[in-house]
Amino acid sequence: MRHRLLPLFWTIIFLVFAVLLSIAVGSVFIPPADLWRLLTGKFSGTLPEPLATYALIIVSIRLPRTVMVALTGAALGASGAAYQGLFRNPLADPYLIGVASGAGLGAVIAMSIQWPYSFWGLMAIPMAAFLAALLTVFIVYSLARVGRTVPTTNLILAGVAFGSFATALTSFLMLRSSGEIRRALGWLLGGASQAGWMPVLGILPYLIIGLSILLLGGHALNLLQFGDEQAHQLGLPVTRARTIILVAASLATAAAVAFAGIIGFVGLIVPHVMRMWFGGDYRRLLPLSMVGGAAFLLIADVLARVVLAPQEIPLGIITALAGAPFFLWVLRRSKNQGYW
Amino acid sequence: MFRKLIGICTVLAIFLAACSPAQATPAPTIIPTKASMVEAPTAVPTAERTATVLVDGLGREVKFTNPVLTIVSMAPSNTEILYAIGAGAQVTGRDEFSDYPAEAKSLPSVGGSMGQYSYEQIAAIRPDLVLAGGINTPEQVKALEDLGINVFYLGNPSTLEEMYANLETVAKLTGHEAEAATLVDSLKARVKAVDDKLAGVADQPVVFYEIDASNPNKPYTTGPGTFIDLLIARAGGQNLPGLTDAYPQVSLEQIVLANPAIILLGDAFYGTTPEAVAARPGWAQIAAVTSSRVLPFDDNLVSRPGPRLVDGLEALAQAIHPELYK
Repeated sequence: MRHRLLPLFWTIIFLVFAVLLSIAVGSVFIPPADLWRLLTGKFSGTLPEPLATYALIIVSIRLPRTVMVALTGAALGASGAAYQGLFRNPLADPYLIGVASGAGLGAVIAMSIQWPYSFWGLMAIPMAAFLAALLTVFIVYSLARVGRTVPTTNLILAGVAFGSFATALTSFLMLRSSGEIRRALGWLLGGASQAGWMPVLGILPYLIIGLSILLLGGHALNLLQFGDEQAHQLGLPVTRARTIILVAASLATAAAVAFAGIIGFVGLIVPHVMRMWFGGDYRRLLPLSMVGGAAFLLIADVLARVVLAPQEIPLGIITALAGAPFFLWVLRRSKNQGYW
Repeated sequence: MFRKLIGICTVLAIFLAACSPAQATPAPTIIPTKASMVEAPTAVPTAERTATVLVDGLGREVKFTNPVLTIVSMAPSNTEILYAIGAGAQVTGRDEFSDYPAEAKSLPSVGGSMGQYSYEQIAAIRPDLVLAGGINTPEQVKALEDLGINVFYLGNPSTLEEMYANLETVAKLTGHEAEAATLVDSLKARVKAVDDKLAGVADQPVVFYEIDASNPNKPYTTGPGTFIDLLIARAGGQNLPGLTDAYPQVSLEQIVLANPAIILLGDAFYGTTPEAVAARPGWAQIAAVTSSRVLPFDDNLVSRPGPRLVDGLEALAQAIHPELYK
């Protein structure tokens, strides 16, 4: 029994390491001695410089960003694993049925309006992206439905078609918007556009709902691997299970994308790596992908901050640039090459 | 094996670093730019500091102790404004693209490429004020606000008068009202000089201002809503007819139809030359090409909403009506 939890244990250790790295490393170099003092010491009153600045950087910049990136990575990793299980397709990622394209369209439309500088004005773009993403999933789902079932092929086709439509519309709007194209491009390339704890609070409710449902859906996903008919005969209410898992995964992805932009590759690669290392049992794969996704995205974020400091590279670029070689290395080393 | 991976990733990172903004040789501007702005002595004001409130471009009430002693500029136009009004000594940080005046390049950079700034660097500099510009987003302003850093958002002007007002606003922030007033007066005088020169001129040649022609059949130009469009008109020319967007992509057919008398290469910095333009298929019959009036132009003069816009106006006037400047 113990060995079943060992992979999760090690992955959590890796996550803790990634979190510490994310807090310790950034475009401003904080000497390890000062860092240790800040993290472990108790302070009263105002800190002397430069400790005060370091404290500000760690508490107000790095900590919320670490949490946000970890949550985003967890959402994308778990959704990726769920989508791969649902569609039984190794190329499935959380953006398969158009969540990213829909969110991008919503965000770009929202960016073309001058919102007042207030709490709701600043929430307008993530909210628009989130609603547009959910609307996209709903439209794609409705388009793909045949009677009371939703064949996976239809879902993929409708998703790809509608996604392309949304992407084209987004590009068109970006070209016509003149001033906002820089802002839109930055958003589309990924990376937390809002700083502080607000995006964390914004994303949290949807992640809690979505991820808890996904974590409970491991057994259903295992059954679905046998095919719809077999799963049905084994007692799984196939359409209902698929819909619930799809909605949960899409909810988590939509929330992640709304606040963090479109970060590709995480949802595709992390489940694969976890599967190669620890096997394809979804009851384990989902939590592993969640934790692994968080750790992977944190490392990518550290690289994004550090490689060209003080310039920050959008996260979506780093995940592909750094993730692809890593994945190819894992693929080469894997003992289960060709397992699909 | 792992070391090989580190090596590969390092090479990729270096490759990425090499892909930073192109270091093309700056194209010669058609007119040697004279020492443009009144470079007022960059003295730090010694006036007593008082608490003041100003409303910024986002409608926020910004409280600050006047004058502000350390500023980080988040836009190249803001850097130019700060130096022009004599507040250069108070600037302690700038964004990646601030390259004018040359002194600005030695300041620490706080990011800004791909729209991402390093809040850590700004926090480490601990400025009294961050001067944000039109290229910055409200989210960036909010992020800095949340860190307890004072931010003033200088909205983009749409006319020269609004640009003068921006100069005066920044002067109020930094305690250089006198220098700014002198600067605005001299700018107005120069603009008036251009207007006077063009007073009797009836001929308004069609000008094509090229921003990008990666696809020579569909180059990008500027339209209504941009300063370039405004200044071309002010300099006695007319932009392509029928444009509605700010940065439209126009078909070569429309350009041939409009038959511009002058072509200004705003993308000269990226290597476009008049010879290259003449060599493009379909461009050879355009009036500007046949009369050799395809001229490289320093785009920064007309796209940064600062005092150098007047330099740009003068450069445009000289390009469009060279006969008045003999």
